[in-house]
Amino acid sequence: MKNVKRFLSLGIAAAMTLSLAACGGSSSSSSSAPADASTAAATTDVGTIENDGNYDECTIKFSWWGGDSRHEATQQAVKAFMEKYPGITVEVNFGAWSDWEAARALEFQSGTAADVNQINQSWINEFDSDGSVFLDLNQVSAVLDLTQWSEDSLAQLKDVKGGIAGVPVAMTGRTLYWDKTTFDDAGIAVPTTLEELRAAGKTFQEKLGDEYYPLALGEFDRAIFMTFYLQAKYGKAIIEDGQLNMTEEELKDGLDFIMSLEADHVIPSIKTIDGDAAASLDQNPKFIDGRYAGILEWDSAPLKYKNALAEGREFVVGEELKNLGGNDKTGVFTKVSLGFAISTISQHPKEAAMLIEYLCNDPEGSAIMGSERGIPESKAGYEAVEAAGGIDETIAQAHDIVMAASEYNEDPIFESNDLKGSEGTYKYVFGGLSYGEFDSAEAAKELYDGMSAACGA
Amino acid sequence: MTNSNKPRTAEEINAEVIRKRRIQTIVRYVVLIIVGIFMVYPLVWMVGATFKDNNEIFAGLNILPMHPTLEGYRNAVKSYGGDINIWKALINTFTIVIPKVIFTVISATITAYGFGRFEFTGKKILYPIMISTLFLPQVVLNVPQYILYNKLGWVGSPLYLPLIVPSLFACDTYFIFMLVQFLHNVPRELEEAAKIDGCNVVQTLVQVIVPMLMPAIVSCALFQFMWSSNDFMGPLLYVNTPAKYPASYFVKLSMDSDAGFSWNRVLATSLISIMPSIIIFFAAQDQFVEGISAGGVKG
Repeated sequence: MKNVKRFLSLGIAAAMTLSLAACGGSSSSSSSAPADASTAAATTDVGTIENDGNYDECTIKFSWWGGDSRHEATQQAVKAFMEKYPGITVEVNFGAWSDWEAARALEFQSGTAADVNQINQSWINEFDSDGSVFLDLNQVSAVLDLTQWSEDSLAQLKDVKGGIAGVPVAMTGRTLYWDKTTFDDAGIAVPTTLEELRAAGKTFQEKLGDEYYPLALGEFDRAIFMTFYLQAKYGKAIIEDGQLNMTEEELKDGLDFIMSLEADHVIPSIKTIDGDAAASLDQNPKFIDGRYAGILEWDSAPLKYKNALAEGREFVVGEELKNLGGNDKTGVFTKVSLGFAISTISQHPKEAAMLIEYLCNDPEGSAIMGSERGIPESKAGYEAVEAAGGIDETIAQAHDIVMAASEYNEDPIFESNDLKGSEGTYKYVFGGLSYGEFDSAEAAKELYDGMSAACGA
Repeated sequence: MTNSNKPRTAEEINAEVIRKRRIQTIVRYVVLIIVGIFMVYPLVWMVGATFKDNNEIFAGLNILPMHPTLEGYRNAVKSYGGDINIWKALINTFTIVIPKVIFTVISATITAYGFGRFEFTGKKILYPIMISTLFLPQVVLNVPQYILYNKLGWVGSPLYLPLIVPSLFACDTYFIFMLVQFLHNVPRELEEAAKIDGCNVVQTLVQVIVPMLMPAIVSCALFQFMWSSNDFMGPLLYVNTPAKYPASYFVKLSMDSDAGFSWNRVLATSLISIMPSIIIFFAAQDQFVEGISAGGVKG
């Protein structure tokens, strides 16, 4: 049966291609849609899927990365899904992030990927550059309710053909978090504007000592904070349509801004942070005991820092700074933190779509998943998780602040390995500048060249 | 370099030699103990850290935990969705490692015997080619190997075929190299004697060469045991059902840097999973050390 179906679809695909060839170049406007359909038919058996309430008895594979609690919640949700739809078996494969991407890259390239994959936004550029790896989810929209996501968030996961390569499970961005206890000690409130932040730097130095800083920013944190500043001041995204959208002078302005924070004792120098010899801020004794009283982190990540603080210290979610660029803009950008995508090689795209629908939109499924992958972006999913009380208050608060302040979408290039990696441009530029290896003009040139190169210019 | 010309008695000289020796011994032991502490400290710290919580782990280098907790061990033996726990993962590890060690030993010994004792056309080229694969990093091989095993339909095989089968073909050049070096030290007369006694090639190998090579073979087996039990990339690529995850993969499951994780759990799982290796190492220690040093006597 399967073979006959496959043969048929191949035949149809061939016929369509032939008919297209016969049309020649005369109808270029109408040719793109059927062309898409024909390639899809050749790889997936089924063109557009109807929601007739039936499904095949089959086995589909589902892969994700994460930590303990995510593994646990997702496995539970998968079990519940199999109970709800007897006959569908879901085989799972999960692990930690390290080397995960490399292993999946091999799978995508050799056509052995799971039916449903948890993906990063950047994977669409990296592994699906011709749009042939991930299924256009419009084809399964009868089963997977795409209206639960905003147009804007779905647009971030478009592939080159304009199809929707994945659904955004959650959106994320960065905001400030404060160790309120230190601010109390200094006798000031946590800052909400740039002026207050600068003033806090001085107050900390005078009242608490040289070791106390209101904010600690590593190299990548600096890149993000600088971007907020630039986007707020110049009113444009730093990377637009895959192209660097700032001039070298503008970047120099941003770098000067960061260095002015250092000069005002707002942030410790990179040398100071390196000297603490901690792998990350949450493992840094100076953060743990409140000498670094602020961080700029993802809205999904505060718990790690909250739990790291020494006992009795109060951790609060901060506002995005207003008037960063001297106007009322925040310059904040957000990105898709994770997506779910279906492989085009999947023999059961309908059942795969049913699984995603269950995990993201179904009241039961999304409630089990909770906020393990961040605050759900799907409206139905969000309501279900909220009703089930599955959203941590701190995370919810941070998420609301970030999403309310968000003005731009973060291009995945901003976090590409060449820029963000341990040997990347940000580390080199912000580290070198802070260490005094070069001045901001040189740093701006390096940053401009590095970012242009990453953008493929 | 004595200043006085006064002749010394034999006893005096003797006493001085003994004193000097004693001082030397003391200095030697002090140096060894200090270096030893540096080397063992991380291991001992790891054992202590399995009883600490995250805050304490990052706070200091104490070995003894201030607020001991068994949470790490309790979590370490928890299963993931009922499919896999540390014990199952250990069994999986052995399912991979034991056949792998046996196959490696057999195939490497035969190959080494071939290269070490026989002259055949192309040996002058084949041997250097084989040795040159020593310098090939595994990363380079990942992609072509994956494609090959995928074509054979072995990816995700419940029998761990892509992990075990290659060891049948003496893929670990290092072991062949080691055995060939060792074989150079085995006198050819033994084989000639065996030949006179009527042994064929196989009998010579099994009854004469293998017993002589034993220390080196044990080293190979131990190395292979350690490397395969620690292998992470192999299982990551070729195992994709939770019930089949080996310990090296299992240990890392909870390590998610975004959400943060309990180090005590990771350390406790690691500790449990290295136990078998440690026990085996101690059991075979004498032969292991002999094998390594003897293999390196002559190049």
